[in-house]
Amino acid sequence: MSGRVIVITSGKGGVGKTTTSANIGTALAKTGQKVILIDTDIGLRNLDLLLGLENRIVYTIVDVVEERCKLKQALVKDKKNPNLCLLAAAQTRDKSAVNQDQLKAICEELKEDNDFILIDCPAGIEQGFQNAIAGATEAIIVTTPEMSAVRDADRIIGLLEAREEIESYKLLLNRVRPNLIQSNDMMSVDDVVDILSCELIGIIPEDTGVITSTNKGEPIVNDENSLAGKAYSNVARRIVGDEVEFLDLSEPKGFFATFVDNIKKFFAALAGKE
Amino acid sequence: MKELFTGLYKKVAGFFQATEEKKDASKDVACNRLKFVLMQDRTNLNPYLLERMRSEMVDVLSKYVEMDKEALELSFEQEGESMALMLSIPVIRAKDEEEIQALIDEEEKAKAAKEAAKEAAKAEAEATEAEETEEDSETEESEEGEFAEDEATETVDIESEESKEEEICTCNDENDDDEEESDDVDLEDVEETPPTKKSKKK
Repeated sequence: MSGRVIVITSGKGGVGKTTTSANIGTALAKTGQKVILIDTDIGLRNLDLLLGLENRIVYTIVDVVEERCKLKQALVKDKKNPNLCLLAAAQTRDKSAVNQDQLKAICEELKEDNDFILIDCPAGIEQGFQNAIAGATEAIIVTTPEMSAVRDADRIIGLLEAREEIESYKLLLNRVRPNLIQSNDMMSVDDVVDILSCELIGIIPEDTGVITSTNKGEPIVNDENSLAGKAYSNVARRIVGDEVEFLDLSEPKGFFATFVDNIKKFFAALAGKE
Repeated sequence: MKELFTGLYKKVAGFFQATEEKKDASKDVACNRLKFVLMQDRTNLNPYLLERMRSEMVDVLSKYVEMDKEALELSFEQEGESMALMLSIPVIRAKDEEEIQALIDEEEKAKAAKEAAKEAAKAEAEATEAEETEEDSETEESEEGEFAEDEATETVDIESEESKEEEICTCNDENDDDEEESDDVDLEDVEETPPTKKSKKK
């Protein structure tokens, strides 16, 4: 078996890379895929928190590369899903503790008996980023409909494009606020896709549930009722090759708004006839 | 009667449309700013260079068509893996053939004049060089003077015409006995450049 190695990156910090990694990983594992999550944000590790595994980490990726333990020993199984494992980052070291070849070697080894290796990339484009993309052949670029995040995503796309090993990369638009888009106060999904001219793999609505789920150490995909959770599950399905339509995020309108809309349509039709 | 109704429709439709678009949509501002900044990021062209490129293009294109220079729009568009430079210029009027030809002729003339000026400058430089080699054999004892002259002629080739004038002036100041010869060379130059040199020298 040769698994797929996907790096989840963004350039800008705080757009939801780690949340995305945790959720896509969990969602893939739920469908029966064997998944390894690697946190490469050495010195600022957080993926363990989002999965609720912070108390189970004995060995980290630095212990693996410095040969204090076997790779298998450092993999921490998820509480709920045995298909999902985490290789945590060290908290007491920095990005220079691991190099590109070492990460590549780890990915190669893990590929052999897993379906997916998801790499949670640190923010920035320095060594941490270079390490994270070293072993990957696919990428998911997380961005939000904000100028700074889009600009950074563009930069990342440029860097990924220059790298031969990356066979495909797709865009995940996070923290979308349909009501702001409706009032023309936020760039729409189409705007962002148009500007970056990159294929879309997911649209995740802003959801307060993400905060509460992080508080509990439980990825939001485990919440059946959450819209963001559903959106993340759909991303996982698209990754394995299913054709899934994007969720309709536009909020249901009130009675008056619908009434005005109908009048507008009526006049538009009349104007069209003239 | 029908006109009255269509007028009314338009007014009402206009009202509803206005309520929709009355806001100066901040997302449009964001989109435009972002497009512009990404254009700079992707091309490594800073605003100064972009403006320069724009104005140079305007100069070239306006020879052939009369266009709205202010409304020229420049953008880079990513199409898959390749990037395209998109140029949108509202054309005001197509020019007549004679008009274009006249401009081209004018330009050719200017070019020819420039060439001639270059040739003249070259000849001048050669003349002074020759002059010097003569001198070298004559005045070998005075090393200081020789040094200054060598430097002067070397720079003549590289520097622009204005500075050339200065260099030659200094040459002349140094060797007063050769004034006649260098004056002859100067005369050629005077045709193109205003005769400030002579007055300066004296």
